[in-house]
Amino acid sequence: MIDPLLYFWMLLKASLFSTGGTGNLPSIHADLLAHNWATDRQFAEALAIGQISPGPSGFWVISLGYLTDGVRGALLATLAISLPPLLILAVAALHRRVGDHPAMQGFVHGLGLAVCGIFLVVVVQLLKENGFDLISAAIVLASIGLALTKRVPVPVLLLLAGLAGALLY
Amino acid sequence: MSNLKVEPLVTGTLQPAAGPARPSLWQLLRVWFMLGIQSFGGGTATLFLIRRAVVEQHRWISEGAFTRDWALCQAAPGINLLCMTILLGRQVAGIPGALVAMLGLMLPSVTITIVMTALYADLRNLSMVQAALRGVVPATVGMGLLLSANMARPLLATSRRESQGSLGVGILLLVGSAAAVQFWHLPVIIVLCGAGAIGALNTWYHATQAKVGQP
Repeated sequence: MIDPLLYFWMLLKASLFSTGGTGNLPSIHADLLAHNWATDRQFAEALAIGQISPGPSGFWVISLGYLTDGVRGALLATLAISLPPLLILAVAALHRRVGDHPAMQGFVHGLGLAVCGIFLVVVVQLLKENGFDLISAAIVLASIGLALTKRVPVPVLLLLAGLAGALLY
Repeated sequence: MSNLKVEPLVTGTLQPAAGPARPSLWQLLRVWFMLGIQSFGGGTATLFLIRRAVVEQHRWISEGAFTRDWALCQAAPGINLLCMTILLGRQVAGIPGALVAMLGLMLPSVTITIVMTALYADLRNLSMVQAALRGVVPATVGMGLLLSANMARPLLATSRRESQGSLGVGILLLVGSAAAVQFWHLPVIIVLCGAGAIGALNTWYHATQAKVGQP
């Protein structure tokens, strides 16, 4: 059984301590898996839907909410990712006073590096859970190559990958 | 001379040329709602649309202010695009403006996201869909790896500009936080706060050193 309050807190906490739409992934991944409230597959599904659906790709959390806890989960997730950005008003006010303080810049800097490092761990685990083989390795490399050209929109890229999966698996 | 007068792009507003036009909350809601509907294709595409609407079309804020705001949003918690929406909304019409802008952007996009997920949840057990997903996951992983590299690169470049030692600390934070979660199973939130604290100490130390070094 999912405890809605704790569930909400996990999503909120993760978004409070990260910047950007996917910086919260490592923390949410660790917390929900520890409680068996989500599977790696659901994370992969939610991330993909978040890329295709309108709105910032950070809305993947809403998709995850629906997959793990239905409409209630989706609404809790929506609230959890809506509240932290409101702090921009405080950040903007703070910035006018101490934004240039080196400790402040250093904190954000260190936080960003840690998010990148942990992000890699999570992404590799998603790949392992999906079944790592020659086909998936080829798709990883191909998607990186296509993304680097910056000519292929993300939804098209995912569609191609889906077609490849349907044909090859 | 009067022939050359530039008409405001927003019809129905008779604002003086100096200073941005003040839209009603209703107009604000309508503009952001339309942005929410069109916001396919991720953050960059959406930011492009927002900039066109807010800076070029309605001239609610200047180009420079738009860029400054976006930089600030990089350092704020949560989804950058929502931070930006809130900041822009507030500059146009205060706190109510911030909330209305957010509501307008999110109402259509969140609804469509939930409906798309629900449709997918109905289909997810078809073998065809499962095979397709097995192909999609590696693609999201590939983009995730790229995203991580793109996020880390400017951070490490900043470290290197600071000093050799700072670059070492930066790499240590990157690798160390991954190892702390993967091998030592430390809670993610602890690792994040620890890394932030180390980063703060490091930058502060370098700033004071630089000050001492000055004549």
